[in-house]
Amino acid sequence: MSSPTTSSSLYPIHLLMDELKSEDVVLRLSSIRRLSTIALALGPQRTREELIPFLQDQLDDEDEVLLVLAEELGNFAEYVGGNEYAWVVLGPLENLAAVEETLVRDKAAESISKLSTLLNASQIEEHLLPLLQRLSQGDWFTSRTSACALYAAPYPIASTGVQEEMRKLFAALTTDETPMVRRAAAKALGPFAKSVAEVTDQHSILISDIIPLYRKLAGDDQDSVRLLTIPDLIAIAAALNPEEVKEHILEPLRSSVTDKSWRVRYMVANEFVGLAEGVGESIIREELVNAFVGLLKDNEAEVRTAAAGQIPGFAKLVDKEVILAKLLPCVRDLATDSSQHVRASLAMQISGLAPLLGTDSTVENLLPLFLQLLKDDFSDVRLNLIGKLDMVNEVIGIERLSQALLPAIMELAEDKQWRVRQAIIEYIPLLAQQLGVQFFDDKLGQLCMSWLGDTVFSIREAATINLKKLTDVFGVEWAKSTIIPKVLEMGDHQNYLYRMTTIFAITTMAPSLNVPIIRDTVLESALNLANDPIPNIRFNVAKCLETLAAVLATTPEGQEIISRKVIAALKKLQEDSDADVRFFATKAFERTAGDNGEPMGESDHSLLTEWHGVLISWE
Amino acid sequence: MSLSSDLDKQIAQLKRCEIIPESAVKELCQKAKEILMEEGNVQYVDSPVTICGDIHGQFFDMMELFKIGGLCPETNYIFMGDFVDRGFHSVETFLLLLLLKVRYPDRITLIRGNHESRQITQVYGFYDECQRKYGSSNVWRYCCDVFDYLSLGCVVDGRVFCVHGGLSPQVTRLDHIRVIDRRQEVPHEGPMCDLLWSDPDDINGWGMSPRGAGFLFGDDVVRQFNHENDIELIARAHQLVMEGYKLMFDRKIVTVWSAPNYCYRCGNTASVLELDENLRQEYKVFDAAPQDARSIPQKRPMMHEYFL
Repeated sequence: MSSPTTSSSLYPIHLLMDELKSEDVVLRLSSIRRLSTIALALGPQRTREELIPFLQDQLDDEDEVLLVLAEELGNFAEYVGGNEYAWVVLGPLENLAAVEETLVRDKAAESISKLSTLLNASQIEEHLLPLLQRLSQGDWFTSRTSACALYAAPYPIASTGVQEEMRKLFAALTTDETPMVRRAAAKALGPFAKSVAEVTDQHSILISDIIPLYRKLAGDDQDSVRLLTIPDLIAIAAALNPEEVKEHILEPLRSSVTDKSWRVRYMVANEFVGLAEGVGESIIREELVNAFVGLLKDNEAEVRTAAAGQIPGFAKLVDKEVILAKLLPCVRDLATDSSQHVRASLAMQISGLAPLLGTDSTVENLLPLFLQLLKDDFSDVRLNLIGKLDMVNEVIGIERLSQALLPAIMELAEDKQWRVRQAIIEYIPLLAQQLGVQFFDDKLGQLCMSWLGDTVFSIREAATINLKKLTDVFGVEWAKSTIIPKVLEMGDHQNYLYRMTTIFAITTMAPSLNVPIIRDTVLESALNLANDPIPNIRFNVAKCLETLAAVLATTPEGQEIISRKVIAALKKLQEDSDADVRFFATKAFERTAGDNGEPMGESDHSLLTEWHGVLISWE
Repeated sequence: MSLSSDLDKQIAQLKRCEIIPESAVKELCQKAKEILMEEGNVQYVDSPVTICGDIHGQFFDMMELFKIGGLCPETNYIFMGDFVDRGFHSVETFLLLLLLKVRYPDRITLIRGNHESRQITQVYGFYDECQRKYGSSNVWRYCCDVFDYLSLGCVVDGRVFCVHGGLSPQVTRLDHIRVIDRRQEVPHEGPMCDLLWSDPDDINGWGMSPRGAGFLFGDDVVRQFNHENDIELIARAHQLVMEGYKLMFDRKIVTVWSAPNYCYRCGNTASVLELDENLRQEYKVFDAAPQDARSIPQKRPMMHEYFL
């Protein structure tokens, strides 16, 4: 022991050791999680001299424990005495970087990278470089795989000599005999290239040393290696000027685009916008437009799906003429693609072309495609398109959109997929606002009422919310004459679900109604339903009365109605035979009679609204 | 009052698929047992009510079910067992149902399935999930204690008999169920076992079950049982049916299955059976919750993992 210690100061490390030797994984896990506390108690010196060496030997454990250890150690610099001593922690991490489990190695590599940025150039030479050498030249592919990710972070800090050595070590990894290591190298090359480019005066080294590594990996036998070089290409292109791009990386780029493995082409398609942004305008014009068209026409549906997802992003980078001449023909083909996933991907993105094409061209070229996609057999296609229609709306105006699409929308309003119906309902208030009351009543009024009788609860609920929003758009008098009578009619239906919908609709609409309308129409219906044989209806009447009272309380006349009618009904419900009716009636009574002003104070107007929030947030 | 608002908070938490602390589970299970203890082996339930089959820990699909059928307490529910095992969220699924039961005992009825058993849950996932999420087997033990108190069946308006598996040669009258001492681990044989394990089949009379527990029973057995007990329909779960529900034997028995895309890969639809106040049957079918509604774990591996 390096310093005289009392038994109490020994306690933490002994406790830790005991717990780390425990049979119970949970106990070992929790002690590892408290490692920082123990280090703090020991102080920097004893952490360096006792805890770290101890941990170094504690590597024969469950992967779950090692994973947490690898993560904790990444933040350990402050406990060993600051940046000056950060290298001490590298020891146990080096061992962790060589274990079998990938998750543990990745986490260890992450922590080593984190710590390596705290070191100075001489510490890198003295402590990190040997570690890199050992891992990069290890016997097992596991350590060599981990090593790949360790170069990017410390490279800019290292001295020129060490940098050269690092490049050599890394280069060896890119030609490793095992594909696992080459894959890791391909993955790490992008960040490493970025680090090299960051160092002043190393632009020529980037070209002379790094690009050849990229070209080698991009031509690897294994497609699983080649596909990982696409992000490298983007990273390298970002550091080059257009001339250099043409000279050094255009050729491998061309081969990637037409790679014989679809997985590589998929990767290119998936990263296409990033790629295009990296290589710059002239290459886009000369090379990438045709390359993109090729991917949009690829034989493999996966590639077309990925490419379709990049359409508006790429279209932004080219002229409108190019969109019309080159991309639109492909878009037309994709709209009738044999793969539903391709069509769904297109439907998600096609609206993004509208702002780029402008009004006339959108009407001429895109609207017919919208109509076609809205009739697609696959519900995801329809849903994806509807969800993005507002972008089109902004370009061509709701009127033109709705006239062109109304027949399709009417059809979708009865779609067998309830989420499609829901998407349409959510779109209705916007349509209503733009179309005006006349057009709405003629074309959509009936539809909005029919949703109240939908077989799916969420649609019925959305329908009631829709009615409230429509009331806000067209006014209470309109609501009184058109929708309220129909809502109340359902209160006499022999199936309780319809009667329940009446109550829900009244409750939802209440905040948009006024005292005379409540007095003359909905209140009586609600009070009648207080005698319903089904308890679920009765306790929802209680909740409804509470909401109605909140509106009534705003005028003296309304307050009089509360005390004459609402309170009496709630009192009666408090005597109900059903416990839940009594509960909600009592709650409503307390809030209504308690302070005859703000019964809605606490926003707990029902569990329903709270559920609704949860459910909606999952859409 | 404060009790119910505590429960409301926990319900809101579970609805976000977040678990409650072990101590809260312990208390919840205690309260649940007090409520369930008062219920009969065959519980009486009033219409209207919505009947659901196996859930198997598919929490987000159960939330989809609530979107289709409505929320509890607004809609009354019967869940016919197999809440746990196989899916990723057995803990959350069972705790939410249990919270609803304690908060609204008259609005939801939970009956026991063959997976509500110590033995089965140790093999099919619930035990491991409790270990993983709580770090010990305590929660599993509390839940298993509740399982022993669950009813073995229920009858809606005296006319619709709900049970997890099916009939038993030792149960020709509902009264025969009432005399069972149900507070035990599901036995390997006998009437209690049969109710949770049996399946209807196109045979005459009784047959050996390939499951190794319970029996197969035919059209004539169902006809006889329904006649003697003045039952118009037996609603049961227990078997995957690709269309979500399957009526058999001249509509005298129906299988209701409520786990869409069972085990996240079977590709089946699910259903619930809505009985209105006149016992008119309406089957609502539904599919699995959309991918983005779920939290991890993903149904499909990430693209990159797939490539590597």
